[in-house]
Amino acid sequence: MIPARTSLWRAGAVAIVLAFFALPIAYLLSVSFKTKDEILSGDFLPQTWTLDNWRQAFEAIPLTDFVAHSISMALIAGIWTIVITLPAAYAILRLNVAGNWLVQMVLGSYMAPPVVALIPLFFFLKYAGLLNSLSGLVLVNGLVNVPVAFWLLTPFLRRIPIEIEQAASLDGARPLRTLVSIITPMIAPGIVATGIIVVILSYNEFLLASTLSMGDASRTLTVGISLFQGDRLVNFGQMAAASLVGILPVYFVALFMQRHLIEGLAHGGVK
Amino acid sequence: MNIALGLRLPVLLAARKQDSLAATGSWRWLWVAPIVLALLVTTVYPTLFILGLAATKSTLGRPFGDFLAAQQIIAALQDSVFLSALLKSVTYALLISVVQLALGLAIALLLSSLRRTGRVLLSLVLLPLMTAPVMVGVAWKLILAPAGGLLNGILQRWQWIAEPVSFLGSPSLAWWSIAVADIWQWTPFVVILSWAALATLPDGVRDAARVDGARPWQCFRWITLPLIAAPLASIFLLKLILSFKLFDLVFVLTFGGPGFETTTASFSIWRATLEEFDVGKAAAQTLVYAIVVALVTLPVVRLQRRLEGNEQ
Repeated sequence: MIPARTSLWRAGAVAIVLAFFALPIAYLLSVSFKTKDEILSGDFLPQTWTLDNWRQAFEAIPLTDFVAHSISMALIAGIWTIVITLPAAYAILRLNVAGNWLVQMVLGSYMAPPVVALIPLFFFLKYAGLLNSLSGLVLVNGLVNVPVAFWLLTPFLRRIPIEIEQAASLDGARPLRTLVSIITPMIAPGIVATGIIVVILSYNEFLLASTLSMGDASRTLTVGISLFQGDRLVNFGQMAAASLVGILPVYFVALFMQRHLIEGLAHGGVK
Repeated sequence: MNIALGLRLPVLLAARKQDSLAATGSWRWLWVAPIVLALLVTTVYPTLFILGLAATKSTLGRPFGDFLAAQQIIAALQDSVFLSALLKSVTYALLISVVQLALGLAIALLLSSLRRTGRVLLSLVLLPLMTAPVMVGVAWKLILAPAGGLLNGILQRWQWIAEPVSFLGSPSLAWWSIAVADIWQWTPFVVILSWAALATLPDGVRDAARVDGARPWQCFRWITLPLIAAPLASIFLLKLILSFKLFDLVFVLTFGGPGFETTTASFSIWRATLEEFDVGKAAAQTLVYAIVVALVTLPVVRLQRRLEGNEQ
C-alpha cells in the first residue's frame, strides 16, 4: 500500500533522473539535424530538419575507416583479453595455481591511472615496431583490460559448485578439458558480459589510442572525433553527427545485451 | 554434516587429490603465464621504465640521456603548477566519488522501490556508462557552449542572464562543467552496483521495521545502510580508482584551461610528454602521481577490507 503522495513524489524523481540522463544524447541528436544557421540558436529542437551534417561528417573525416578501425581493434583486443584472463582466473581460483598474491597483483595493477603506463607503452611499441598500427593498439588494449576482465569473471567462476569439477575429474577429464567443455559453457553469460564490457572499453579508449597511434591509417574513432576541435575545425552539427555514429552501435549492443551486462557488472560489486 | 555429504567425502577427497595431481609440476605455471606476462608489460616494466626515465635527461626522441639522479623528481616537487594539479586531482577524485556514491545510491533506492519498472529504467541508466568519454565531452560541450549552447539558450530566453556565460572558459565554472559530465557518465556505475547490493537484502527485515512504525529515513539509516555498508565501501573504492583516471573529459571540455585551472596531474603529464616532449619531466611527475594515488587509495582499501571482514 503506497500512499498516493509517495508515488507522485517518486514519479517526479524518476522524471528528473530520466531527463538528466537523456538530455545530452537528445541534444546531440537534435544538433545533428540542425541547419548551419540554427546551430547557434541554442534552441532545443531544430526548426528545419536536415541530414546535411550526417553527410558532411563522413566527408570531413574518414569516418567509416575510423569506425572500422575501432570495431576491429576492440573486438580482437577483447578476445585477446578473455584468452589471457579466463584460464588464469580458473587456475588461480580452482586449481590453486599461484596464490592470493597474484590476485592482489592483478587487481592492484588496475589502481594506477593509465597515464602512468603511457610513456613506457609508447617506447614498448616503438621498440616492437608497432607504433602507429592497429596491431599495437590491439596488443596494448588487450593487456590493459586484463584486470577488469579478471574482476568481472571471478564471481562467475566462484559460483560454480566445486562438485561439478570433481565429477569431471573423476571421469578422467583433465583441467584444460574441464575448463573448455564444462566451465566455459556454464559461465557463458559471464564471459559474454565480460567480453562486451572489455570490447566497449577498448572501443571507447582515447588516451592510449591518441598517443600510440597517430595518422589516419590506424586512427580510431574517439581520436578522430577529437580532431574536430583541432586543425580540421568543423561545425557543431558535424561533430554531433560523427559522435552519434560512434555512440549508436554501442547503445544498440548495450540495450540488446542489457540483462547480461547488468548482471555481469552487478556480480562484480557484490560477492 | 549431512549424511549424503558424509558418504561422498571419500570420493571428494579422491577427486581433490586427482585434481591437484593434474595441476602440479612445472606445467601448472603455464595456466598463469599469460597473465603474469600481461602484468610484466603493463605494470612491472612501466614502473622500472618510469624510474629510469625520471632519473635521466630524456626526450621522446632520445630517452635515457645524462644521469640526473633525483633532480627531476625534486623539480616536480617544487613545480607549483604541478603541485596544484596534483592537489586538484586528489580533491576532485575524492569529492566526485562521494557525490556519485550518494547520488547513485539514492537513484538505486528509487529504482529498487519501483520493482519491475525500476529494472527497465536500470537498463536505460546503463547507457551513459557505455558512452565513450570523448563523446560525453562533445555532448556536454554542445550544451555548455557560449554560442549555440542549450543552457545559455535557455537561461537567456528566461532572461536569467543578459550575456552568454562561458561555462568552460571561466575559472570558477570549468570544474563544475567537468563534474556535471562526469556525474552523468559515472553515477550509473554506482546505481547498477548499489542496485545489486540492495537486491541481496531480504524484504522481511524492512517490512518488519515498517510494521513497527519506522519512518523511511529510519529504515534506511538503521537497517538498509548497515547491511550494505561493505558493498558500498567496495563501490566507493572502485569509483575512487576510476576517478583518478579522469583524462578524456578534461581533454575535450577544457583542455586543462582556462590557464591551468583544470589541469589535472594526468593532463600535466600528458602535456609534458606530448607538447614539451620532456619525457624525463613527465616520468618524474608520473612517479609522484602514482605514489600519491597509492597513498590516497590504500586507506580506502583498508576500510573496505575491514567492513568486509566484519560482515563475515
